Amino acid sequence: MTITLVKKILKDGSPCKKCGDVLNKLEQNNQMQFIDSVVIADERDDQSAGMQLAKQYDVDRAPFFIVENEGEAAVIYTIYMKFAKEVLNQKTQEADELKEIMDNNQDLDFL
Amino acid sequence: MKEPINFVDVDATLQTSTPQDILRYAIEQHDNLVLSFSGAEDVVLIDMATKIKPDVQVFCLDTGRLHAQTYAFIEQVRKHYGISIDVLFPDADAVQKLTAEKGLFSFYEDNHQECCGIRKVGPLRKKLLTVDAWVTGQRKDQSPGTRAAIPVIQNDKVFARPNDSLTKYNPLVNWTSEQVWGYIRANDVPYNTLHDQGFVSIGCEPCTRPVGPSQHEREGRWWWEESTKKECGLHSTNTKK
Repeated sequence: MTITLVKKILKDGSPCKKCGDVLNKLEQNNQMQFIDSVVIADERDDQSAGMQLAKQYDVDRAPFFIVENEGEAAVIYTIYMKFAKEVLNQKTQEADELKEIMDNNQDLDFL
Repeated sequence: MKEPINFVDVDATLQTSTPQDILRYAIEQHDNLVLSFSGAEDVVLIDMATKIKPDVQVFCLDTGRLHAQTYAFIEQVRKHYGISIDVLFPDADAVQKLTAEKGLFSFYEDNHQECCGIRKVGPLRKKLLTVDAWVTGQRKDQSPGTRAAIPVIQNDKVFARPNDSLTKYNPLVNWTSEQVWGYIRANDVPYNTLHDQGFVSIGCEPCTRPVGPSQHEREGRWWWEESTKKECGLHSTNTKK
């Protein structure tokens, strides 16, 4: 299995806060060991590796994880808790998962 | 088994289709498809879909905090169209934990995400694990900040079952509020009486208020919160294939 984390740099050159939060969680939970590479999606450069991966996998947000297993289609995770639970088998609290989904998907507001 | 959908190509085609044609496409593609109904003007989707498939699956999220008028409207819709509406409830233990720790109006003190997560997203996620596709009434004009880029069809990576796919359709995405209300009037579609009282966007009672003529409908929801930044999106004009 190969895991790629794509994190973002904003148009003004500053780091994405949400990406920082996710990186902190990965560090705190000793999960960086499972991440094979960290790729930058630089909003100032559409040709940056992360922006190209976002285009390739039709992802419109960051951070996101690309999980690749040989002979299978890559699976994309845009929610850290979902990734941690399904790929890293981390025990997660449902309330935390739901809050992350709400925080990352503002279009759910109007449901 | 049907061929996998090429979301980018299909979206490009459906962008110029009518909501009815989009619904017809969705219903033909998926036997196990469900319509999300919020108890507001997205009732037009039920009107359109039942003309294509009279027994189409419909669900709505009962957060426990809706207006009495919304409950009455959901019941009116159920009878009017002769459909079964799956009313989904939040997990009782999760709601009890939240209210025990933070009271009944925690959303006024922190923000609405935690409460919405428990009362809406939890039951929504549980429901979506049982289907192959879902349909929402989302429109671009509802919130230029958070909905400007939503497609007609998308690969829903958030709620998909592990190692499976979930397709999300937004047939009204390119319609304006005016078009929706034009359809409601032209087709005698029942509507929530709260709309007659100045409510445009309708959600939970404590988090919804009427808006004035010059206000955007977004101002009728969570008005005490600062408008949040669209932090997670990838802001490039070229991220689409």
